[in-house]
Amino acid sequence: MSDQTDVLQGTLDLLILRTIALEPMHGWAIAQRINQISDELLRVQQGSLYPALHRLEHQGWITAEWGASENNRRARFYAVTKAGRKQLATEVEKWERLSAGVNLLLQRT
Amino acid sequence: MRAWHILRSRLTSIVFRDRRESDLSEELRLHLERETERLQATGLSREEARLQALRLFGGVEQIKEAARDARGTGAWDALVRDTRHGLRRLLRDWRFTTAAVLILGIAIGANTAIFSVVNAVLFRKQTFADANRLVNIYQNDRSGKPMVVISYAAYMEMAEYTDIFSGTMASSIPNPVRYLAEGAVRNAVAEFSSANYLNVLGLQPSLGRWFDATEERRGAPLVAVLGHQAWTRLFHADPSIVGRVIRMEGLPVTIIGVGPANLRGTLDVGLGTDFWLPITAVPELISPMGALRDAPTILAPLFVKARLRDGVTVAQARAAMDVLARRLADEYPDAFRNSGEFALGPGITVIPSTDVRVHPQADVPFMALASIVLFIVGLVLAIACSNLATLLLVRGAARAKEVSVRLAMGATRRQLVRHLLIESLLLSLAGGIVGCVLAWWGMRALQTIDLPFRVDMHVDYRVLAFAIVLSLITGVVFGLAPAIKATRVDLLQTLRDEGLQPIDHRRLTLKNALIVVQVAISVLLLGGTSIFLQATAATRALRVGYAVDGVAMLETDWRFAGYSESAAKTAQDDLLRRIEAIPGVESAALLRGLPMVSTGMSIVVDSATGQPGSEVEFHMLEAGPGFFDTLRIPLLYGRVFDARDRADSPRVAVITETMARKYFGAVDAVGRRFRLKADPNSWTEVIGIVRDTGTGDFEDDVLAPIGPTYYRSYTQSGAQATTVLARTSRDAASLIAAMQRELRAVDITLPAITAKTMAQRLEESQTAPAVVATLFAILAGLGLVLASIGLYAVVAFAVARRSREIGIRMALGARSQQVVSSIARGVAALIAVGTGIGLFFTVLLMLVMRAGGGSADVGIGHMSVYRPSIDPLALLGIAAVTALVGVAAAFVPARRATRLHPLVALRHE
Repeated sequence: MSDQTDVLQGTLDLLILRTIALEPMHGWAIAQRINQISDELLRVQQGSLYPALHRLEHQGWITAEWGASENNRRARFYAVTKAGRKQLATEVEKWERLSAGVNLLLQRT
Repeated sequence: MRAWHILRSRLTSIVFRDRRESDLSEELRLHLERETERLQATGLSREEARLQALRLFGGVEQIKEAARDARGTGAWDALVRDTRHGLRRLLRDWRFTTAAVLILGIAIGANTAIFSVVNAVLFRKQTFADANRLVNIYQNDRSGKPMVVISYAAYMEMAEYTDIFSGTMASSIPNPVRYLAEGAVRNAVAEFSSANYLNVLGLQPSLGRWFDATEERRGAPLVAVLGHQAWTRLFHADPSIVGRVIRMEGLPVTIIGVGPANLRGTLDVGLGTDFWLPITAVPELISPMGALRDAPTILAPLFVKARLRDGVTVAQARAAMDVLARRLADEYPDAFRNSGEFALGPGITVIPSTDVRVHPQADVPFMALASIVLFIVGLVLAIACSNLATLLLVRGAARAKEVSVRLAMGATRRQLVRHLLIESLLLSLAGGIVGCVLAWWGMRALQTIDLPFRVDMHVDYRVLAFAIVLSLITGVVFGLAPAIKATRVDLLQTLRDEGLQPIDHRRLTLKNALIVVQVAISVLLLGGTSIFLQATAATRALRVGYAVDGVAMLETDWRFAGYSESAAKTAQDDLLRRIEAIPGVESAALLRGLPMVSTGMSIVVDSATGQPGSEVEFHMLEAGPGFFDTLRIPLLYGRVFDARDRADSPRVAVITETMARKYFGAVDAVGRRFRLKADPNSWTEVIGIVRDTGTGDFEDDVLAPIGPTYYRSYTQSGAQATTVLARTSRDAASLIAAMQRELRAVDITLPAITAKTMAQRLEESQTAPAVVATLFAILAGLGLVLASIGLYAVVAFAVARRSREIGIRMALGARSQQVVSSIARGVAALIAVGTGIGLFFTVLLMLVMRAGGGSADVGIGHMSVYRPSIDPLALLGIAAVTALVGVAAAFVPARRATRLHPLVALRHE
């Protein structure tokens, strides 16, 4: 548990967008995917995912549709919109700049 | 695009609120189930897995709240919640709510009603094409101020300036006319205009056509254009009206068109013009009522507007009109010596139409009057609002505990203020709705009164916006302060019940000042009521000087049934004979018009003692054979009219003793002569002198003493008699019915225009002052009610704040009387100061009215003003009533203080 990192404020949007950019997913699956892909390094507090999803939907970056889950239950599937993909690109760029900056700072001091 | 998306998302989430909620719950439930299953798969028991899943998830309700907020609907939900909560609270405190809504409703209603009148009169401007090229032209009066154009001839001279004006039009001031519809004679307002009226204004008739130049000629068949409003109101917008013939003043008039929808009248003061007729119809339609028939050119007050030619400036038009003014002064020197109502002075005024609202001389007093009225009614609203604020404060004080508890439970101050503000907004909006309903109802009531003119007022968007804005401002301004005050509590102190600060010993608080002002205004309004009651009583006490009991009149108009002059003569004699034969009738007479309705005249008195050639203003009353006998007006010298006085015999007159003394030097002036100023060949010989009657002209100047008056006989004026006047020894009311029966027996088609007893006529002449007195009484009552509510609130507030102190005093042995009197002293001081100020202004008002010398200048004329006597008994009565009402209002909450059980008061629960 101790080597897990809380998701940085503001990066949750990036993680969500990146995760569902591949295929539409429902909330629980998104949380699982983030955990798995980051080798359990990043820990998303599961509840906080939903306000973020609703905010993104409200802003028009993702859409939600009811569909059947893998075990055949009604689930809300989120998909990225066109505007969302554009947003994802800017978020990625922003992140890369930030991490590059932080890396430089760490290496040179 | 994105803004649209966000708006839509917000709207759908608001509209489908319930579905959104259940969706959210389902989504979270699914998550928890899946997580539980996953954890179970790692070997946990079902119950452990569920708990672990919940732990990992976080607080479900908080997450839901955060998700709602993420959609931006949190504020809306809070608003809905607070509104519901506020409504519940207001319904629970229904007494307070009813009182507050009624106070506000009355105040906003009064404001809205008055505003809608002001709106109709002042703010709804008419639109003309290219209005900035239009000018108004006035001939000046002797002081050089613009008046009106006094004759058709002068207008024609102006219209000659075609190099300056591309068109010039004239229209008379609105005239009352009568027309026949569905067997009844109705009142309407007519304008007499030139043929190019619409062209100059740049408007088109909405139906049919306007009259043309051939119809603007004397002797042409009478035609009329119907006003658009009259068309919809009176004829239900029936398009077949064009071509129909109606009888106006008894004459057949063909309707040839309907005016533009946005044109209400030349004089745009909210009086709708019902008919437009050619200017040349004036002599035929309304001359019997004046001296116009004999005038060489049509002498009538006209409003003239002209359209400037392209490139012509107002200054050029002014220069041209100056030239004309000098020429007119040379050509018509008589017009400038005229001492009558329309005495001309040098010069012609040209003003751009857009700079004039009603009339250059009337605009300022008009606006001032409107502002004063709005101010006074606004004052009522201010009083109502201050009372509401006080009530809210009292309520806030009583809720201090609730507020503290909520603050302690974690509500923010902002939430509480918003909550209280929503309550006061709900109150003020409800008040606004009640106010609109009251205003609408009041205006409906006003509209049903059949006035000879019609103020075109209705609730339009301006009025509605006015009411809504008024109630919103009221709600915010007068709800905010109490709300902030109520939430500014020291938590610990209030919860321990120590929070009620020591008594406020300041005497000059805003609240006290408001009460004083309210009381003062109520007293002033009561004073106004007393003045008008006094005026009414004074009029009633005037010596009438002619028979009233048993006298009845029946007016018809032979022309309405298409009678020729000779046929009318036979028929009216027949009617007179029939009415004389009614059992109980002692005397009957024929008359033109209604009895004792006077016409102002300028006459020239034959020089024996009267100044040679001098002109004097006179009242002329219509009479005929049998008139003085029927009305029992005593003859002093000579004889009264009889069969000898015919159209072809020398003109004769009966004069009053005042006239005889004043202009002929002796009461016995039989044989002396005078003539009408307008007609040099109208020498009239005095044949008799009768006693003065108390009120000759009770049409408007009821209170003015009768001036010099002469009577003429309809048999000589060439006009038809229209009215039968009869005196019975029995009941006058039953005589009316009998007279109407006889009228129907003569000709069933003859309309009964007026069928009244003399007593009713006299009573009607009192209507205006009586209505004003009633209005004042209502306002005064309203003011008193508001003031007492204010007093009640203030005292209740004081008692609430002082309950601890009162409790201690009572625990220490103070008697309830002492407690009440200590509260009452403060209240009595407020009432006394307010009453004093109110009485001071009342007396001041009376003094001003007395100083006015019986008349007041209202811009374009004089208005007679009653001179009140200062009646100490009435003033005392007003003070007593105010004191009584005030003390009663304060007594209720004061009593409540003494009923407090000392223990309860100390604990203040």
